[in-house]
Amino acid sequence: MSRVHQLKISVSGVRGVVGEFLTPNLASAFAQAFGTYVGPGPVVVARDTRASGEMLVRAVACGLLAAGCEVIKIGIAPTPTAQIYVADIRAAGGIAVTASHNPPEYNALKLFNSEGLFFNRYERAELLDVYHQSEFRQALNEDMRRIVIDAETASERHFARILRHIDAEKIRRRRFRVALDAVNGAGSRMSVRFLRDILGCELHAIHADPAKPFPREPEPRPEVLGELSELVLRVRADAGFAQDPDGDRLAVAGETGRVFDNDDVLALAIDCALRKQKGPVVVNLTTSSAVDDIAARHGCPVFRTPVGEANVVERMRAVRAVIGGEGANGGIIFPAVHPCRDSYLGMALLLERMAETGETMNALAASLPRYWRRSGKLPFAHGRLGQLMQALEAALPGARADRTDGLKLMLDDGWVHVRASNTEPILRIAVEGKTREAADRLYRLAESLC
Amino acid sequence: MRAARSLRISPAGVRGIVGHGLTAAHGLDFAAAFGTFLEPGGTVVVGRDPRVSSLMLREGVASALLATGHDVADLGIVSTPVIQHAIGRLNAAGGVSIGASHNPAEWNALKFLAAGGSYLSSAQSEELLDIYHLKKFRFADWTSLGRYSEDGSAIDAYLDILAGAFDLDSLRRFRVLIDCTNGTSGLILRRMIERFGLRFILINEALEGRAFVHEPSTTKKMAELQLAPLVPTVGADAGFLFDIDSDRVAFVTEQGEAASEEMVIAVLADERLEQGAGKIVLTNLSTTALLEEVAAKHGGQVVRLPVGRQAVIDALAGLRLEQIAVAGEGTGAVMLPQFPYVYDGIASMLAILTRMARRGEPLSALIAGYPAWSILKGKIPVRTHFIPELFDELEKRFPDARANRRDGLRLDWDGRWAHVRVSQTEPVIRVICEQRGAAPRRLFDEIMDLVRSYSA
Repeated sequence: MSRVHQLKISVSGVRGVVGEFLTPNLASAFAQAFGTYVGPGPVVVARDTRASGEMLVRAVACGLLAAGCEVIKIGIAPTPTAQIYVADIRAAGGIAVTASHNPPEYNALKLFNSEGLFFNRYERAELLDVYHQSEFRQALNEDMRRIVIDAETASERHFARILRHIDAEKIRRRRFRVALDAVNGAGSRMSVRFLRDILGCELHAIHADPAKPFPREPEPRPEVLGELSELVLRVRADAGFAQDPDGDRLAVAGETGRVFDNDDVLALAIDCALRKQKGPVVVNLTTSSAVDDIAARHGCPVFRTPVGEANVVERMRAVRAVIGGEGANGGIIFPAVHPCRDSYLGMALLLERMAETGETMNALAASLPRYWRRSGKLPFAHGRLGQLMQALEAALPGARADRTDGLKLMLDDGWVHVRASNTEPILRIAVEGKTREAADRLYRLAESLC
Repeated sequence: MRAARSLRISPAGVRGIVGHGLTAAHGLDFAAAFGTFLEPGGTVVVGRDPRVSSLMLREGVASALLATGHDVADLGIVSTPVIQHAIGRLNAAGGVSIGASHNPAEWNALKFLAAGGSYLSSAQSEELLDIYHLKKFRFADWTSLGRYSEDGSAIDAYLDILAGAFDLDSLRRFRVLIDCTNGTSGLILRRMIERFGLRFILINEALEGRAFVHEPSTTKKMAELQLAPLVPTVGADAGFLFDIDSDRVAFVTEQGEAASEEMVIAVLADERLEQGAGKIVLTNLSTTALLEEVAAKHGGQVVRLPVGRQAVIDALAGLRLEQIAVAGEGTGAVMLPQFPYVYDGIASMLAILTRMARRGEPLSALIAGYPAWSILKGKIPVRTHFIPELFDELEKRFPDARANRRDGLRLDWDGRWAHVRVSQTEPVIRVICEQRGAAPRRLFDEIMDLVRSYSA
């Protein structure tokens, strides 16, 4: 069981433990399949700061060159930055070498199409078929392209897009004092430049050295951000921000050092965006009902999708959403900049709102509707999810059911959602209630049925 | 058909037409096998030739070496001799040379080098091949992956070594015309001009990745065609022609006469037997018999080995370096004992110029001093199944010759010999005949006809 999941080649791409499992040979072959699939154009390659990044980027470049692609290396860059770069130069595609929030022994290839978006599920399946068939395009020496290195313009392209939608001058004038924990990730240098130089904040940064290992669990959950909380208090910051290793996820702390629930951060960002422009909102099924309340205040519809950035983005494009995201994992998607999870856009939206209203971060958060949330996970076992779904439905007759991703049962005072993780061999249980009692009751119920 | 069957995996490394046999996967697997073969840890030196596909292979090789826990020192575009010297200088665990040397641009190859810069011995090569075939590579865990660095100083460090071994001041008197064939020699020789004020005139100096100005071979024919007419025109004292990774060289006299590719080792053997302590000339069974005459003049001895550098490396293991006068092939690839294990066309050129300077004779006079041997070379693809029978029939056809079956079949008569063998790099039979004086046309044709009767 554990051995199986140390390497996963699926429609999400390739993910695995570096060493015996995720080898350069496999990465190169997958990249050559990718190059075969997207055709012989330029392909952007970026990485996060993991120790295995350099090794895997070279394997990926090898496979892409062998398929006849031109390789554009943008070095260490956050995933949204890489996606925007792909879209900006109209590349044939892009590959980010990053395992996002997974532990440092993992790495993975994130794959983007020519618009800098995750492949849709049909494209992903087709690419996987190309990989499995192993009949890759084999460029001859005369058709082979070279490597272009551009470590300079990627961040500027990203910032330029954000600044078209954010009033940076307004933020600069406030000279916010901001604390940052960049997890020594791909955003380390860029985040410092963005917050200090572009948004004019007085920045107090920790773990912003891309040469160092991750100092904490890489997923920016409130429980692991103690250092950020302390920093906020010590320097009396107006806000604290934390990123994951590839800079797509964002966690936020208020001026008292309290780290907000990621669902609340998304709800706040949605509020900020809808104030700028009304329009549909798309979030995944596990995202807080606070989003519905906020959208209702603005008279905007909310659409829900299965969990996964690609699912959310796909629906956002279909309904022309103005904002969307995924609650629990801290992903804010603002398609006017680019349809991807983007911690930079998130930071800018929140700071802009503080500058506009003169309110503190905590005051902004206090305006959100209050919900109580609980979540947990179980080891995956075949058949376990089905049994749990049947038992839950039997225990909660009369609840509205959504079966698009596991089972979500909605009651008047809360909901429960059980599903299988896309990336790990676990089942996830998420519960939300209008009261603490409602949340506890639903969670205990789900637990008792496992 | 040639394209479909281009891949050649042998103790000499892996070689093939990129995309038609040689793929990224071969490069990665071979480099991972090499990383597994070497002791854990330690630096591996990587260099490449200017072919575009070499960049692709460099990425794969570097990745696999990092993944097997080796630091990578990337020298960029350099010659194989520069890589070999860098391995010693950096005290590295080994090296990988990416490039197909004298093959056309669509080819590429990986050559693996051991600590000290030596080619792998047969036993080492076989172990490497076993690991490659088993495909159970020893990948390091994520905390002990290697680190990658670039080293731009390798050419200068190499030139320091050459400057220590040759009196470069004495060579400044010569005007030398050099055809770099768009290969790595251009970079090195340009730097020699800058640093030492040598009067080299370089042609085809620009590095090319897709198409070389002419086939990168160092045969007499190529020197005659590409270089010979220009040498007297520019008033040069000598002309030299390099292959892509500058381990081979051919030369042309001041009168515009292209020398046989066999003459490089002959001249160097003469020079080293006269000047050095070593008395043994190591060469292969296909190389000119002039060597025996040159050796006899100085009381030296020629030791003939099967074709291939492996055989030379194996033989060197049983000899002290002081015993060696010179080692090499009639292809223009020669190793001088002061640079052990490095076949270096540039060092060979400097040694020839040094002899000119020391003797005060023009190159044409130096060459005229040797008895003439004429060599004919041919190649024919044959049906593999019948190769042993072919050798048997050839031996029977020439009962008056002394036969040697150490590498294919070598037949010897007084003043005349023939060597028929299976190529290590191409799916062909090679036929070489040499005779003192005029070319052995009748013998050559007779053998070629017989071989052709076995052709596919």
